[in-house]
Amino acid sequence: MSTKKVSKQDKLEAENLMEEVQEIISPCIKCGMCKSFCPVFKTLREEHHSPRGKAVILSEKILDKVLFQCNLCKACEVRCPLNIKVCDAIKKAREAMVLKGHELKQNKEMITNIRKTNNPFGNDPEKSKDKLYCC
Amino acid sequence: MTLNKSTTKSYETDASGLRGKAKEVIFPNSIPEVQKIVTITPKIVPRGGGTGLAGGAVPQNGQDTVLDLSKLTRIQSLDKERSSIEVEAGVILDDLQHHLKRYNLEFPVNPSSHTIATIGGMIATDAVGSRAIKYGRTSKWVKWVDIVDSQGNLQRKGATELSDYAGMEGTTGVIVKACLKLSPRKLRTASLVPLETVKETLALVRQLKLDSSVSMMEFMDKRISKDLGLEERYHLIVEYESDKGKIKDGAYEKLLALRDRTYPLLASEGYTRIEDPKILTDRFDKIMPWFESKNIPVFGHLGVGILHPCFNHDQEKFIPEMMKLVRKLGGQISGEHGIGLLKKSFIEPNDKKILVNIKKRTDPINKFNQGKVI
Repeated sequence: MSTKKVSKQDKLEAENLMEEVQEIISPCIKCGMCKSFCPVFKTLREEHHSPRGKAVILSEKILDKVLFQCNLCKACEVRCPLNIKVCDAIKKAREAMVLKGHELKQNKEMITNIRKTNNPFGNDPEKSKDKLYCC
Repeated sequence: MTLNKSTTKSYETDASGLRGKAKEVIFPNSIPEVQKIVTITPKIVPRGGGTGLAGGAVPQNGQDTVLDLSKLTRIQSLDKERSSIEVEAGVILDDLQHHLKRYNLEFPVNPSSHTIATIGGMIATDAVGSRAIKYGRTSKWVKWVDIVDSQGNLQRKGATELSDYAGMEGTTGVIVKACLKLSPRKLRTASLVPLETVKETLALVRQLKLDSSVSMMEFMDKRISKDLGLEERYHLIVEYESDKGKIKDGAYEKLLALRDRTYPLLASEGYTRIEDPKILTDRFDKIMPWFESKNIPVFGHLGVGILHPCFNHDQEKFIPEMMKLVRKLGGQISGEHGIGLLKKSFIEPNDKKILVNIKKRTDPINKFNQGKVI
C-alpha cells in the first residue's frame, strides 16, 4: 500500500465514508449465507475473502487490502436475507482507502492503464485481445 | 499460510455473533498438512463453514490457532452399490448434493445452512435439520470418520467410536474425512397448512407422524407467519416424499427457501439469540403458552420436538427460566445447535461428567477447542 500525506479534507471525507460503511453493514447477523454465492470465496475458500469476512473486518473499521479482492458482482446481495448492500460498503471503503493514501499500487496502475489505453494491462487493446476476457 | 492481524478478525466470530480473539489462522490444503500443524500447535480451534449458533468455532483469549478446514474439498470414491461416498471435511453440503445429483443419490440430512455448512462441521455438531423426523441426525449417516488426534496421528473411527467425535464440537480431535451413507434422491412436494390453535397443530402433527411419506414438519407461529407474508395463523410446512403435497417444483423450492429465511428475518428485527430446546412433541402444548406469554417468536422442527425460540436483547433474561421449564418437561437444552460457549452453564452435572470423560480419553492434553462444551 502506498502512503501519501493526507489533507484534512480527505481525512474528514474518509471518516464520513466509513460511517456510511458502518451504517450499511451494521444489520449483518453473520449468518454467512452470502458465502454460498460469492465467486471469490468459492475459488479461494478463505473466510476473509468472503462478504461476511469483509463485513467483520469493516465492522472493526479496518481498511485492509483484502477489500480490493472483491469483484463487486453483488452476488452476495442476492443471497443476503437482510438485503445488505455489501458491495456498496466495499466500494465506499475502497474510496476511503484511496483518500487515506492506502490505495494499492496495482489498483493505481490498473486505473492509469485503463485511462491511457482503455485496458487494464496497459497494452494496445488489439494486441492484448487474447488476454482480455471481461471487457 | 497465516494471516495478518486485520484479516484474522474474520475468524474471530461465527453465526452466533460471539466475538473472540485468535492468535493466528491456518489453512491446510491436505490431511498430511493438518497432521503436521496439529503436531506443532499447542491450542487449536477447528473451523468449518462458521455457521454454528453456539460459538463452537469462536477462538478464545488470543491463544487459539484457528484451523480452517475449508480447503479440504475433495469428493472421493463413490460406491454406488453400497450407496456411500468418501469426502473431506471442508466439502459444502450443497456442493456434495450437486455432485450426487447425476447418480440420483443424496445426503438426506438438511440443516437450513445447507448452502454453506461443511460436512466436517455437520459431523462435529451432529447437525439435525428439517428432515430429522425421517432421517435423524448426521451421525446416523456416517460410516466412519478419519480424525487427527492431539499427537497428529491419523485414525479411522467406526460406528462404535463415532459418538466420541460426532456432536463433540471439535473438542476431541480434528475431523478431516468421512464416509457418508447416501439415500436415493426423492421426488418431494409440500403442503402449507394454516392452523388456528396449538391443540389443532399438535393433533395434526400426531396424525402426520403415522404417514411414512412425511419427511418434514416445520412449525411457524402466528407472528413469524405474518412476517413471512402469510396469514396471521400458526402454519405447518409438511414435506412429502411423494406427490401428496399440493406445492410442487419451483413453488416447493420457494417455500423451503422461505423457511430458511425465518431466522435471518427474526434476527433483523432484533431477535438475534436463537435457542434449540428439544421436548417431546406431545408436550408442545405445555411450552407454547409460555413463549406466547413472553412474546417470544417460535419456529422449529415440530415433528421431532426441536423448537427455535428467538429472543431479543430484553428477553434474554428469560432463557434460564425456559431451560428450567424444558427440563421440567423432560426435554433437552440443546436439540441441534450444540453447547459451544453459549450453553455451557446449562449442562446437567451428569452429562458434564460423561463429556469430561470423553474429552480426557480422546484429548488428554486439552489441545482442541479449549473452553467449549465443558
